[in-house]
Amino acid sequence: MIVRSLLIALCVAFPFAAMAQGTTATRVRGPDWIAIGMFLMIVAVTLVITWRSAGSTGSKAGFYTAGHAITPVQNGLATAGDFLSAAAFLGISALVYANGFDGFIYALGFLTGWPIVLFLMSERMRNLGSYTFADAAAFRLQRTPVRLVAATGSLVVVLFYLIAQLIGAGKVIQLLFGMNYIFAVLGVGVLMILYVIVGGMQATTWVQITKAVLLLCGGTLLALAALWHFDFSLGRLLAAASQVHPKGAAILVPGGLFAEPVSAISLGLALVFGTAGLPHILMRFFTVKDAAAARKSVFYATACVAYFCWIIPVLGFAAAAILMTDPSYFNVAASGQFNKIADLIGGPNMASIHLAHAMGGPLLLGFISAVAFATILAVVAGLTLAGASAVSHDIYGQVLAGGKASEVRELLVSKISAVAIGVVAVLLAYAFENQNVAFMAGLALSVAASCNFPVLAMAMFWRGTTTRGAVAGGLAGLVASVVLVVLSKTVWVAVFGFSTALFPYDNPALFSMPLAFLLVWLFSVTDRSERASCEREAFAAQFIQSEIGTALASKRPALAAAVS
Amino acid sequence: MLQLSPDRTRKILADAAFRELVSGRARLRWGLSILTLLMFFGFIALISTAKAALGASFAGSAMPVGFAIALLMVAAIIAFTGFYVQRSNTRFDELTRLVNQEFGR
Repeated sequence: MIVRSLLIALCVAFPFAAMAQGTTATRVRGPDWIAIGMFLMIVAVTLVITWRSAGSTGSKAGFYTAGHAITPVQNGLATAGDFLSAAAFLGISALVYANGFDGFIYALGFLTGWPIVLFLMSERMRNLGSYTFADAAAFRLQRTPVRLVAATGSLVVVLFYLIAQLIGAGKVIQLLFGMNYIFAVLGVGVLMILYVIVGGMQATTWVQITKAVLLLCGGTLLALAALWHFDFSLGRLLAAASQVHPKGAAILVPGGLFAEPVSAISLGLALVFGTAGLPHILMRFFTVKDAAAARKSVFYATACVAYFCWIIPVLGFAAAAILMTDPSYFNVAASGQFNKIADLIGGPNMASIHLAHAMGGPLLLGFISAVAFATILAVVAGLTLAGASAVSHDIYGQVLAGGKASEVRELLVSKISAVAIGVVAVLLAYAFENQNVAFMAGLALSVAASCNFPVLAMAMFWRGTTTRGAVAGGLAGLVASVVLVVLSKTVWVAVFGFSTALFPYDNPALFSMPLAFLLVWLFSVTDRSERASCEREAFAAQFIQSEIGTALASKRPALAAAVS
Repeated sequence: MLQLSPDRTRKILADAAFRELVSGRARLRWGLSILTLLMFFGFIALISTAKAALGASFAGSAMPVGFAIALLMVAAIIAFTGFYVQRSNTRFDELTRLVNQEFGR
């Protein structure tokens, strides 16, 4: 009840705070009242969803997994929503805007992770786990060490991803509504905590579905409007873009980002296998009733992401072709000169937003901005929930309380951790305001590919994996990926100011991921302990359950959740 | 967690339907995974070796070859996942049901 009255208070107060900010700060093209109106509508819709879901969070199954009762289509949309973050929508179209074809390859790397998730992860995960991916990793291994490693990996990934999204959110809202950066980040932080602690997985899922539908519709609308300008000819659009782009025809050819093979493969590995290790994506498989539903939902998610992969280059190239000829979208110097990429108002990340204005005036601008905002809100809520469940289910419930924690206490811990994670993320996002967002997101993916993915894949697919191997490999992958990023150019040179990087490549995955696999193998085969042979023996039962599931799980999800 | 006696575990592992399910799904799973990875990393290898060829126009239109390949790869990924799901829905789910029935679970 207290929570509900808080919600109402927020409903009333937040719009005024936004408007007050909106009127005082400087803005780009006069007050975007339409944008602000649509933005408020989205906030209102998500709060109504949260309110209606408030009753679902009384049990662990309800809070973490929406009672395993989400349908495959809904879950597919929500999973795609989790994945298509603002970094994907604004970031990749900005990459295409600035670099042309390379941005498209980046999107392709993201997409390639999906079939891998489907083939290797979805069904086995659902058959072996109930709430978090650590359930599957620790299925036949020792609970305490394996869960600690998995939960640490999850938290590191969640936190880096969350900071990246919050920084992006702060920048977008700052530009769109003229709100101060800190107020923008704070507002998003408060909303995401509310969604999670009041509505749990059900609210998070429905916010995610709403956002995914809006994003798909908005993206389609914008792409169609842009293509219409070029008589629906992709060829003509590409030709027009290459004529006005400062890099000329080079934007139609793969270049810088993927030119050097070692960096290209490393980035590719992080993009492809990182997806299969993202805790908030893996968690989505538990919201459906069985492995068949998990598999179907990944198919729907893949179709959505693939569709978006076709749309994003259109948006990026159209933004280049249309905006670059119009100085009103740029910060023009007194001399009348402007850089067609760096001087775009709000930076290249705003390319799609400006394109919306160019195509449909304030109305489309308002709509697309609101969609971008919804995107951010939904993704940060999903991340916060994944982080909170790693703390409450894995660390508190299974490790500290030894699996005997009462449901009420575990849920309380979960809500407290959601608040704590939210507060920490907001503070870090404030501290790292000018940090490169793409770098943070890239780091999150590298850690996911080097720690979560190897542990999970080896535990599920290789009979020989022992606790010692999983812990050694997971920790090595985690430490190696973080340390190598610190030693690379982005941190060692750009942040610490040293003249040369100790690690010559931008992305560590090519080294840290094989290292993790190697150590899982090495420390497992050399493990001669009694426990290790028991764990190898237990693989047969795990294998059977991972292939055919438990009959309980497929018939009565609530009961299965209660006994597991 | 599923409780299985060692004897029962052996029986399920030796069961014909279970073996067919497992080997069929493993073939499909690893085959498609390798195909997907080869496609993506092959494309990256192509970029670092034959960059110029990818920039050439495709069949007289203004569409570069590399662009057309990338668009096709997106379609191929939808096709792979669709194929896997379709095979699983028709073939493997049936076998799973059979095994579950056989062992009375």
